Order: sequence, then C-alpha cells, then structure tokens
Amino acid sequence: MPRHDRLPQSKPPAGRERSATCSRRALICAALSSAAAVAAGCGTAGRSSRVELRYMAWGNPEQLGVEQQLVDGFNRQNRDIHVRLFRVPASAYLNKAIIMLASRTAPDVIRIDHYNFPNLVRKEYFRDLSPFADSDAQFDKADIFPAALQEGMYRGRLYGLNVLLGGVMMYYNKALFAAAGQPDPYRLWMERRWTWDRLREAAIAISRHAPDGRPERLGVQIPTFPHNAYILWAFGGEILSADGKHCLLNSPGCARAYQFLADLRWKDRVAPTPSQGALSAFGFESGKLGMTFDWMGMAPRFRRAVKSFDWDVCPVPYGPAGGAGILKGNQLVMSAETAYPEKAWRFMRYLTSARTEAMLYGDKLRRGDPARRSVARSQEFLHASRPPYNTGAYLSALENGRLLPIDARWQEWSTVLNAELDELWGGRDLDAARVLARAASKVDAVLASEEGF
Amino acid sequence: MAALTVRRRSLSGREARFGLAFIAPWLAGFLVFALGPMLASLYLSFCKYDLHRLEWVGAENYRRLLTADPLFWRALQNTVVYVAISVPLGLAGSLAIAVLLNQNVRGQRLFRTLFYLPSLVPAVASSLLWLWVLNSENGLLNYGLSLAGLPHRLCPRWLEDPVWTLPAFVLMSLWGVGGARMVIFLAGLQGIPESYYEAAHIDGATSWQKFWFVTIPMLSSTIFFNLILGVIGSFQVFTSAYVMTSGGPGNASLFYVLYLFRNAFEYFKLGKASAMAWILFAVLLGFTMIQFRQAHRWVHYEGGDE
Repeated sequence: MPRHDRLPQSKPPAGRERSATCSRRALICAALSSAAAVAAGCGTAGRSSRVELRYMAWGNPEQLGVEQQLVDGFNRQNRDIHVRLFRVPASAYLNKAIIMLASRTAPDVIRIDHYNFPNLVRKEYFRDLSPFADSDAQFDKADIFPAALQEGMYRGRLYGLNVLLGGVMMYYNKALFAAAGQPDPYRLWMERRWTWDRLREAAIAISRHAPDGRPERLGVQIPTFPHNAYILWAFGGEILSADGKHCLLNSPGCARAYQFLADLRWKDRVAPTPSQGALSAFGFESGKLGMTFDWMGMAPRFRRAVKSFDWDVCPVPYGPAGGAGILKGNQLVMSAETAYPEKAWRFMRYLTSARTEAMLYGDKLRRGDPARRSVARSQEFLHASRPPYNTGAYLSALENGRLLPIDARWQEWSTVLNAELDELWGGRDLDAARVLARAASKVDAVLASEEGF
Repeated sequence: MAALTVRRRSLSGREARFGLAFIAPWLAGFLVFALGPMLASLYLSFCKYDLHRLEWVGAENYRRLLTADPLFWRALQNTVVYVAISVPLGLAGSLAIAVLLNQNVRGQRLFRTLFYLPSLVPAVASSLLWLWVLNSENGLLNYGLSLAGLPHRLCPRWLEDPVWTLPAFVLMSLWGVGGARMVIFLAGLQGIPESYYEAAHIDGATSWQKFWFVTIPMLSSTIFFNLILGVIGSFQVFTSAYVMTSGGPGNASLFYVLYLFRNAFEYFKLGKASAMAWILFAVLLGFTMIQFRQAHRWVHYEGGDE
C-alpha cells in the first residue's frame, strides 16, 4: 500500500482564498516548527547535554594541528563536553587574552606564557585550582616536578598547570666538533668536565676566518638575557634578591660571567657579532656554527631544517658555582568566569596527563619537557630514534633546572636591562662590571618606582 | 517674496537633512571610533589604569612623564631629531623626483610608476629588506661604500652603533620619497601655467631661476601642505623601529610612539600611555600652529593677496 494512503485526510478548505492563506500560514508554521524541531532535535540527540568549552592557545600551524588532535581526542572520550580550540596568532595573543580576561569574556581554559603569568594571576582573572588538584585522585600532583608546580603557584595556591615546559639546552654540531678534533661535549658533561673554559677551547678550535678577517664558521652563538641567565648562576651570580626588590647583577660573579661571554665575541672572535649573526647568517641550521643555546622546543625545527650534519644536545656547561640550566613553561589557567569549572578541570587534567605528555614530548614530537616525573623517566621520553639522542640532557635540565625570577614587572625591568646590556654585547663598552653597575641601578629604579606610572 | 523665502528655507532644510543622512555613516564612525576613544583616552590620561583597576590620579601621569621619566625625554629627543632631518630631506627628495618626472621625456609614465612602486611595499616587508641593506657586515650599503673606496673597518655600523642608528632610519625614510607626497607635488607642478615660464624665458631667466622664482613660489602651498603632513607622519614613526631594532641599540631608536606602545601594550600602563598620546597631540598641534603662523611669509596662494 502506498504510504500516503495511511495519512489522515485534512478537511476540505472553506474557500479558495482562505485555503491559500491557510496553506501559506500552515507552510510557514510548519517550516518554523520544523526548524525549531530540528534545532531542538539536534540538541537533544547531539549537543544539548554537551557543554561547550573554549580553549585558547597559540602556535604555528603544525603546533596548532597537534593541539586540535588533543582537543579532538578529549571530545571523543567525553560525550558530555565539547571543547572548541580558539586559535589566536602569537603576535596578538597577549593583548587578546588580556582584553578578554578584563572584559570577562575569556575562554574557559587559556594557555599563558609564564612571562605574563605573574602579572595576570594577581588580578584575580584565574580560578584557584588547588581544590581540584588536591582532591582529584586522577591528577597525581606529587608526580609533577617541583619547579613545574612552582611556576603555577601564587600566594601558596595553584593557579596554573605547567605545559610545554622547556629548558635551555646547548645544541652542537657534531661534525664541526669532530673536524676540529674536539671531544664530544655530552661525554665531557657526564664526567662533569664540560665547563665554560672547555666551551671556549672548543669554540676557538671550531672557528675559522678568511684571510680578510671575515668569519667562515664560528664556535658559539651568544644568547641574550634571559636566555643566558645560567652563566650568571654558574659563576655564582644572581639576578634579583630573594624578595625581588633589588637587582643583584652588580656583583663580581655576574661581572665575571658576562665578561666571559663578551670576550668570546670581541676578544676571541669566536661568536658572531650582531651584524654577523643578523638574519640567521650564522644560524645553527647553516652548519657554520658549532654551538648554540636555545629552548628544548627547538628540536623539531632543527630536525626539519638540518639534513647535512649530525647534531645533538648537551646541558649548559658547568661553572665554578655549578651548572644549573633555565626552566620555563607555559601555564594552563582556568578563567575565573567559567560556568563549568569541573568540566574545565577535566580538560586541563587531560592536557597535563602522563598520556598527553608522552605524546607531546616523546620521541615523535619533542615539543618540550614533560612536567611529570613518571613521563620524564619513561622509555617513551628517553628513547630516541633520531636526533637529539642525548635525552639524558633533558632529564638533567628538568631535575636541576632553575626558574627565572619572572615577576609582575618582568617586561619592564628586563627591557630596561637589555637596553643597557646592548652596550656590552654591541662592543661599545667592553667592561662588563661597569655595564652591569649601570644596568643594576636602572633596574633598581624600576623596581623601586610606583607601579602603574 | 515671503513665500519664496519659506520655500527656499524648506528646500535648504530638506537638503540639509539629505546632507546629514549622507554623512551619517561617517559621522557615526567618527563618534564611535574616533571622538569617543579620544575622549576616553583623555579621561584615562588622568588615571592609573591597567585594564583591571582604574584609579583617578589627576595630572600625576603628566607630571611624572615630564619630570621623572628619562626615557620619555630620550624618545622625544630621538623623534624630534628624526623629524628635523627626515622631513626636509623627504620634501626635497619628493620635489626633486616630481620635477624630474614632470619633464616631457619618453617613458614618462613608466618612470612615474617605477618611482611610485616602493611606497606600495608594506612597511614590515620594507623594514626587513632594509635590515639586509643596512647590515654592516654583508649589507648592500656598506658594500657600495667599500666599492667607493671606504675601508670596511671604517664603514658605519648602521643599526649597531647608536651614533649611526638615527641616520640609518632617516636614510630609510627616503625610501618613501616617490610615494603620495611626490604625486601631490606632481599635481602641483602640472597646475603651474606654462605662460609664467614663457614670460620668465623672455626675460632671460635660466632654468635654475625659473625653478627658484616661478616653480617654488607657485608650489609653496603644496610644499606647505606636504610639510604639515610630513611632520605629523614622521612624529608617528613606529613600524620600522619596532620591526628592525626594538628601540635599540641602547634606546638609540626608541621613538616616541614606540615608547607609547610599550607602555600601553607591554607594560599595560594605559593611563601613562594615554597621557603620552595627548602630549604628542599637543606637540603636533604646537608645531602645526607655528607652521601656520609662519606660513604667510613664504606661502603664496594664487589670488590670495586680493
């Protein structure tokens, strides 16, 4: 039997006009009802019970692709939550985040670079995560490295979960070391013999200049502050006092450390000057540089770009006062305005779980260092099928690394400091003690000034 | 007569309404996106504001900027020096090119297009290009100087030596001499009646005399216009310093707007940054008023003396 036969017959219309009007009205009503039903139906069957969360992050297309994979994985596992990745270009990220936080329209979960975390956390934009972290058995707070936990703390409470933790490593060109007859620095480091003096020897041996004096290859790239803070510590210096109110760069240890770096460039001529190094003329990928210091997260880029020589990583050299490196990460924070704190926490827990960390930081991606000890000591992290092979260097960076003294006014005083240090790195004043004395007094002036003016 | 007046009035009222309707979109945009933010920034300049807390502090932002902020004066000094050198050079360059491109030669249109092209390059792209050109080690400029006989060790370290940084930025600003300013000069040149030159020629004037006694006076209003715009534009120099040097070395290229930007969007001192914006407004207004007051001495408008 044909299907329409079963349908109830409608009453015949009273008149042609009325019939037309009614049918038009009926059509419109039916269309609207259908649309409402479809919308409601979709909600019921699909997302009506699903809470939508927004997660804000930045990165290059490849990194954001990984973030999207993580989000998709979470959405598949959690039928009651749908997370939407909110991508903002890196150049506009901070301003966007601050404006959204200030206007109370921020996404539920936000990734914040630690350079900005201390300034934002005190404005009560973020939700205190301590109640979640302390009561959630699945979170395992004790598994997290103390330094990684510390970065997300404010006034004794946890406000940020560390992700993309990174240490500054020394990347070295193994081919140039071998050609210069220099021993492998990682082997020396394991014997605690990889020192700043040995680095200088290696840099001199690697460097080569043309007869007209122009460099053909150079030993080491000198990083600027704060990416060279470890040499200050290695020579017994400190950056700020423990209370953060005074600059301590005007000390013999700091002067010795920065004098050493300046001399590598201007006396030994084994490090590119600003103009020699401009526009990556002596970038590590060029094969014309023996050593460079950079974040651990640079490994994927070097893997892609370096095809013509062997390379690896090594912790920063030892100095008279030790060999601690820098540690710094990003913080995942929860907006204080989120309507779904429990669900946002579940997403944050997922992003910082051992499983996610193993995926992000393992041999395949190497996007940074794990914040969890269990991952850092796992074979998934320590095994390497391609460079960098010296994964023990990462573990050491995590276990011995120190945090930078990043405070709420970091942007301001570090800008002032770097403007003064330009004199030393630019070779206009080669007396590190004098430059640091000037710099310290200017940083002190910033720290002592009333905030906000 | 009365009826006619009423009719005229109603007509003009109707025209006025139409006029208002036509400018309404612009007016709305101006109120919402220009006047509103300007008034807000004026209010903020008397506050301490970090997008989180707003605190009225009176004239404290202005007082501290003017009396206790050495970087404010450094930025202002850098900018004034830059303006003082780049604007006259730019005007002279644009005028020279416009005069050349006004000559009746083969390929005139092609030359005009070629000279205009650099101004179409985005500021960030041209800044990156100039990073290469000004590189003291491998840059094109120093290479040219060494070809001209200057030893490499004596070549300027453009963006590394604070002494040479401002000259480098001035040099770079000349990249834009073929842009809109040149087009305005060209239009001005084409508006000068040929009969003036013919009269000067009959009087035995040389080319230089024609230029000095006919072209310059006849172009003075155009030069004045370009001068005002040039000063205002140069005071707002930002992109090249932001991209190329971040204000370095040693604050040698810390221009006023760059320092304002830092205070607003890096340190989030929006009250201070607003005060800086209003000081810049006052400085520009002052410069413009001085120029207008001096204008009667050298700017000639055709028929203006009647």
